[in-house]
Order: sequence, then structure tokens, then C-alpha cells
Amino acid sequence: MYADDESTDQPRTGTAAVHMDGITKRFPGVIANDDVDFVVEPGTVHALVGENGAGKTTLMNVLYGLYEPTDGTVRIDGVRREFGGPSDAMAAGIGMIHQHFMLVDTMTVAENVVLGNEPTKWGGFATDRATAIEETSALADQYGFDIDPTAQIDEISIGEQQRVEILKTLYRGADILILDEPTAVLTPQEVEGLFDILAELIAEGKTIIFITHKLGEALEAADDISVLRDGKLVGTVPTADTTQEELARMMVGRDVLLDLEKPNAERGSPVLEVDSLTVEDERDVTAVDEVGFTVNEGEVFGIAGVDGNGQSELIEAITGLQHASSGSITFDGSAITDSPRSERIGMGMAYIAEDRQKRSLVMEYDLRRNGLLGCQRLPEFSDGLRIDWDSTEKYVDEVIDEYDVRPPDPAAEAHSLSGGNQQKFIVGREFERDPSLVVASQPTRGVDIGSIEFIHDRLLDLRADGKAVLLVSSKLEEVRQLSDRLAVMYDGDIVAIVDPDAVSEEELGLLMAGEQPAGINAESARLRGRESA
Amino acid sequence: MSGLRSRLAGTLDRLVDASPIERLIISVASLVFALVLGAVLIFASGFVATCNSPVVLVPGVGYGCYNPIEVYSTMLQGAFGSPSGLGQTLQEMTLLLFTGLSVAVAFRAGLFNIGTQGQMVLGGLATALTVLWIGQFVPNNFVGTLIVIPVGIAVGAVTGGFWGMIPGVMKAYADAHEVITTIMLNFIATAIAYYLVNNHVGNLESDSVLTETIPSVAQFPASISGSRFSLFALGGGLLASIGIYLLYTQTVLGYELRTSGLQETAAQYSGVNAGRNIVTSMTLSGALGGIAGAVYVMMVQYRWQAGIPSLGFDGIAVSILAGNNPIGIIPTSLLFGALKSGSLAINLSLGVPTELVEVIQGMIILFIAMPEFFRLIGKRSGFGSETPATSGGEQA
Repeated sequence: MYADDESTDQPRTGTAAVHMDGITKRFPGVIANDDVDFVVEPGTVHALVGENGAGKTTLMNVLYGLYEPTDGTVRIDGVRREFGGPSDAMAAGIGMIHQHFMLVDTMTVAENVVLGNEPTKWGGFATDRATAIEETSALADQYGFDIDPTAQIDEISIGEQQRVEILKTLYRGADILILDEPTAVLTPQEVEGLFDILAELIAEGKTIIFITHKLGEALEAADDISVLRDGKLVGTVPTADTTQEELARMMVGRDVLLDLEKPNAERGSPVLEVDSLTVEDERDVTAVDEVGFTVNEGEVFGIAGVDGNGQSELIEAITGLQHASSGSITFDGSAITDSPRSERIGMGMAYIAEDRQKRSLVMEYDLRRNGLLGCQRLPEFSDGLRIDWDSTEKYVDEVIDEYDVRPPDPAAEAHSLSGGNQQKFIVGREFERDPSLVVASQPTRGVDIGSIEFIHDRLLDLRADGKAVLLVSSKLEEVRQLSDRLAVMYDGDIVAIVDPDAVSEEELGLLMAGEQPAGINAESARLRGRESA
Repeated sequence: MSGLRSRLAGTLDRLVDASPIERLIISVASLVFALVLGAVLIFASGFVATCNSPVVLVPGVGYGCYNPIEVYSTMLQGAFGSPSGLGQTLQEMTLLLFTGLSVAVAFRAGLFNIGTQGQMVLGGLATALTVLWIGQFVPNNFVGTLIVIPVGIAVGAVTGGFWGMIPGVMKAYADAHEVITTIMLNFIATAIAYYLVNNHVGNLESDSVLTETIPSVAQFPASISGSRFSLFALGGGLLASIGIYLLYTQTVLGYELRTSGLQETAAQYSGVNAGRNIVTSMTLSGALGGIAGAVYVMMVQYRWQAGIPSLGFDGIAVSILAGNNPIGIIPTSLLFGALKSGSLAINLSLGVPTELVEVIQGMIILFIAMPEFFRLIGKRSGFGSETPATSGGEQA
């Protein structure tokens, strides 16, 4: 648990803040970490990158004492340590900020920061709230955090909640901070704010490890980058000496085509027509405001925009998960504005939902049962009464095979698959039943590069087959490369429909920010979109 | 600390990974362990009890009243040893089978139906009144029975189903929590039944609150002499278990109900009308509770009488112990039935206080349920052979 006497006999590893040596972590049937040597220099930001399931989180959980390694040693500041649990790791100055925050929503910032180590008064019988607030303020000031210690957690933004998590670990005296996918939940502005905070922490002498699979962020914020692949460390490189292409190659073990080849497709008749559609969110606020567009056969129609500008509500109204307050939706010539979702599925609408673990998969079901999700009333899978398990199993086997889902086991439960494999399974399930319209919302969010490429190829295959594809993505690069026509959403409205090859990234950026770049007139752009429909 | 922690983690891993056979062995071992501990408890409490014929004298401590081996053998004898005992056991089992299924159906849909009791009370009353009425028009032979009993069951199911539908509708369309509404509806059901029987439809001459005795054509034919237990009722219960099992594994409706219970957002994605599903589940659950009431009237009491035993609440324990698995409810309802009739016997013939018998009963349930409970907890917290590394990683 504490410093091992043996360590004095062994050569000390210089001054590395973290030295993980030969770490192997086995789970039954899986080697999550395979002989990993991971070294972090003190006072640096170290990014740990890799595809989904490469073993990044496992390695950090070993460092944080959540897992005991099967093999290998951990040295902190040159001293060998064995952690029986996170409390031991904390005592050694290691703090971890998980992707899902562990805050009490109904308590204040200061109360959350001191939770577990509360300053007390009256001989330990009561929490000293005044001191808690004072100490939290002092800590926030020291690191330049702009945060109100008396605000309640559920009233502050996600970015601020993350800062509370960081303060919490600092309050416990952490010198080495591990952040698991810290940017996954943040807006672009908040990401910048986080990077400023990381710089401030480094200036105060802390050491930071952050897990990510966004190479751009690793390059921007880290001093060193370590790449994991299939549980093995591929290498550690200084950020200054590497490029995005090199990192991508290290991650997937081969060159990634960052430029897509689009096969030709014949644009046909309209499949989905949306006309002055208005959708209100659950708070009765207008989220989509009189939006209209058409998606044709053999075309990818992209919708770009910063998250939260009405894309989710628009997609849910089209797929039948939310009620439209006015306007109309026409699919294959019939009005479906008020049709139940099951009817739309029956008509051949496939849907890759934004939040796959909430919507597109039942996490406790195995792949066999998940293969039936949404298809259960289609004639191929049931007579409406009895499920045809034979053909369901055949279908699932086919999806697993064709879409390279790993592990290729129909009895595997959905939660045991990595994010990329979950998504490949969903894509397969939705695409293989021959839809005439595919609605894909953030289809590659949280998915590794290999799977991203695969999903992109499949979307383009569908387009080549003359299907209509409606693609929503907050990744600008993705919508630009895949779309034939690109709509930009801002504040519930489509501000422009443009030819993605004819506009620059800057112009798109301006449109997404609600500004009107010179040369692109919204009306004309909109008309252009309609004419080509 | 680290050693203990890893040992605990290892135990949880093994529990989560246990095969069905291993789980059965664990359950049986738990039963044995509970019996051994119960024996110690019985023996020890014998020293503080007073009795005319002590079974043992321990010098310096005093006289012991209870012999644990005798207690257990009496319990076993009481539950299975005589035709009437066996009849009592199977009779309890039949009723618990239906109430357990009622609770399980709701649980499967992610709903906690505490209202089985009320559904049973009203279903039973409706059955009693119906069979009293149509009993006059049918021939007094097995043809009459073939008509009256199915009608009685159907009326019980419809009434219970209606009573279950109410909290379902309130949950689906007004967001009223079913735990609260079903508890309240239990009181309402009991009060309505009491009022009706006491003032309008019951035997108004009697001092007790009860209906007339139902005609013999409406009584389940007894299968064991000295008991009112009927194999037809038990057979019906077993068929219901299998039917519900098939509903969940083989039918689209069952798949949709189960999906709604596990993950409502995914159920909506799959095109399921969540509100309608809640109503369907609660109605089905209520119908099973109503059938329990019908069976109680036509097999056990031969009338409706105030003070119906709390079979609806026992159904909650039966269902949870079976992991809400409709097939698993068959053995757990048998276990509960045997405990009930067996404990009756030790109280009657050995004078062991019912409180002590209940303690033993509770211990048996606790011991058998705990491994399954920890298994559930372990699974929830990511123990077992699934790799948390690949499931806990990147979530969008």
C-alpha cells in the first residue's frame, strides 16, 4: 500500500512523476493492457490517445487504484506504490476526474468541493460551511477559476461542473490529475476554457494526464502524447515532433484516408420533404422554427451547426419521437407529420440516433435482442404477434459479419461492446433492412477512426444505391466531405443551404455563428437548395 | 485492506459469473445454512420459554423447551407429510403463483405493483357475486362447473385488470407514481368491497362481513381428501407461468413490454407507445391479481369474506426471490407455500410461538435472496467477466 522497501534496491526512475512499468491488466478472456510502459514527466500535460477499447481508461484506472494490475509496477515520483483503492492513490497525490461527473446536484459548489474532507466545527459535529466557502474561493482564485462557491450544482453549466470536479481533486491535495475524456461533454468555447485551466495548473506545478481520442485537442493542449492500440503502447512522442497524420497512423496501424472518395450517385426524386416545420421542446420553447428542405434519392443532405441549435428536435420530429407543432413532413409521397414512429419504420425510415446508449440499443440486451429493436413489427421479423427468432438470428449474424462487429458473438450484451462496435452494430441493423431514407444523427460521435471510416463508406454506398441520407453532425469536416448539399442550422432556423465544395470553412463557421458572410445570401442559398431539389 | 477488498471483489466476480447450476447449488446451500442457523436460534430460545415437558436439561443453564430437529421434522411433516398438509401447501402455492406472477409482470415492465392485494380483493368479490348469480341457471353437474368456473375466472381477471388499469392510466398520462397510487387503491378496494358486502350484496343476516356460500358447481373439484386444493387450479397457474414466459420470450408484445421496462427511451426509438405499454402491463398484472382472488373464492373460501390474507403482498417476495422470472416463480411459490403450511403445523403441535416461526421463515427468505441480491448489485457495479474497459470508455 505504501512505499515498498524493495524499491530502494532497484534503480530509481529519475524524476518521472508517473512511471508505470510493464503494466498488464487481464480480464477474463481479454487483455486490456499488455506490458505497457507509461512515463509522464512532472509539470507537463500528457495526452493518452487511442481508439475505443484500446485500453486508455483501464490504464488510468490502474493508476488511480481502481484496478489492481495483473503484472507490472507503478512508481509515483520515483517511489514504488501499490494501491488498494482510489483512497490510496489520492493519498499519493493522484486525482481523477471521470467523464461522468460525480457531484451531488442539490448541493452547492463549496459543499461538493469539501465533500468527504469537510472542515468541521463544534468538535466535529457540524460542517463548517463558512470555512468551506472560504477555502473553495481561495482555491478558485489561486487557479483563476471564475466560479461562485454558493451556486447549486444543477444550476451551473457542464463546463463549470467540470471545474468543480477539478477543484475537488485539488482540495484533496492532488498533484497529478487524470482527466478522462474531459472535452467530450464541452462546447468548443468551454474546451478553450478548459485548456486555459490546464495551462494554469501546469504553471502551479501540477502534472496532468488526459485521455482523448480527438487528435486535434491532444496536439493543441499536450506536451507529450502517448498512443495505445489494442492494449499496447505504440509510442510516446513530443507534440512538437508529430502531426495529426502520424498520430492517426499510430492509432489505427495504417494510413487513414482523411479524404474520402465519393462514388458517383444519380440524384432522383424527393424522398423526404419538410415544409415550414415548427417543433417545440419540452419547455414549450420553439426549438425548430419553420424549417423547410428536401432530401432526394441518391443524395446526402447534411445539416451542420453547433449542438443545441434545434438539430436534435428537428431529427426527432422527422423520426417520430417528438411532436411537430406545425408544418408538414412528407416521406415517399405520404404525409407523416402525425404518424406514429412505428409507421415510419415500416415505411423504410432508418435512424441512427445521436445517443446510442439511450436510444438505439438496450444496454442489457444481447445483440440478438438488440437486432430486433425497431424491427420487431416488420414482416421479416414477426407476424405482428410472434417473433421469428430464426430469421432474427440470421439477420444479426449477417450484420455482425458484414459490419465487422467485435466480439462477433450474438449473445454478447450491448454494454460489453466498445463504443465503435456498438455503433457499427446499429449502423448494420439499420442499413441492412433496405431503408429508403436514412436519418443519421452524429453517426461517428465517440467512435474510433477505423469505425468512422467504415461508417462513412457505408453511408456513401447507400447514396450510390439511390437512397436518401439525412446527416446531422457537429463535425464540420464530416458533413462537408459527405454531403451533396449542406444546410446550416442556427437558433432553430436553417440559415443557408449551400454547396459544401463551394464554401470555405470560414464561411461555414460564420454561418454557424449566426452571421451572414459576404457573398452568401441566405435567401439565394436557400432557393438554390430548393431548386436543386 | 487491499487484501480484503480484492477478496471481496473476487467473490463478487464469481457470483456474477455463476452458471445457473451453480446458482441453484448456492440457493440450496443457503437454505441449509439458514436451517442450521434457525436450529441454533430455536434451541437457544427454548431456554427462555416455559413449557410442561422440556426436551433437554443443560446443567447451569436450565431447561430447553424446543428440539430443533423435532421442529423441522414437524414443519416438513406439516407441509408434505399428510394429505391435508400437502393440500394446504399446494393451495398456498397456487394462490402465490398467481399473485407472484402479477407482481412479476409489472416488475418486468419496470413498474412496482403493490396493488395486487386490492386487485385480488375486488376480483374475488366480482367472481363470488357472478358465480352466485349464474349458478342458478346452469345444471348442477360437471357441465355447469365447466361453464361457471371459467366465467368466474374471467370476471375476476376483468375486474382485477380494470383495477390495475387505473394506476396504469394515472402513471402513463398523469405521471402519478404507481407505488403511491396502488397502495391507495388497495385501501379503496378493501373499503368498497367491505361496504358492498356489509350493506348490499352480502349475507346481511350474518354477523361477519361475508357473501353467501357459492354453489357447488362453482367450487373447484377438490383433488386431495381433507383439503380443498384442486389440481385444476394449480395446473392453471403452471400454464399461466409458462404462458407469461412465452409472452416475454416469443411475442412482439412481450418484447416491447420488456424493452419498455428496461430502457424506455430505447423502447420509444423502436416505435413503442410507452404510455400504452404501461397501461397494458398494469392491466395484465391486475388481471393476474384478479384471478388470484377468483381462485381464492372458488377453491379456498367458497365465498367472499372480509379479511382476505395478504397474498398480494407475499407475491412481491415470491416474485423478487424468483428474480421476476415467471418460471422461477414456480419453485419460489412452492417454497413459500410449504413454509406457510409447515409453520402452521409447528405452532399447532409443538406450541412454538408463531413469531419465532416467522423469524425462521424470514431467515430462510433472506438467506436465499441475499446471494441473488449481491449478484444483482455486483452486476450493476461492473463486476464479473465483462471488461469494464470496453464498456466504460467513450460515451457520446
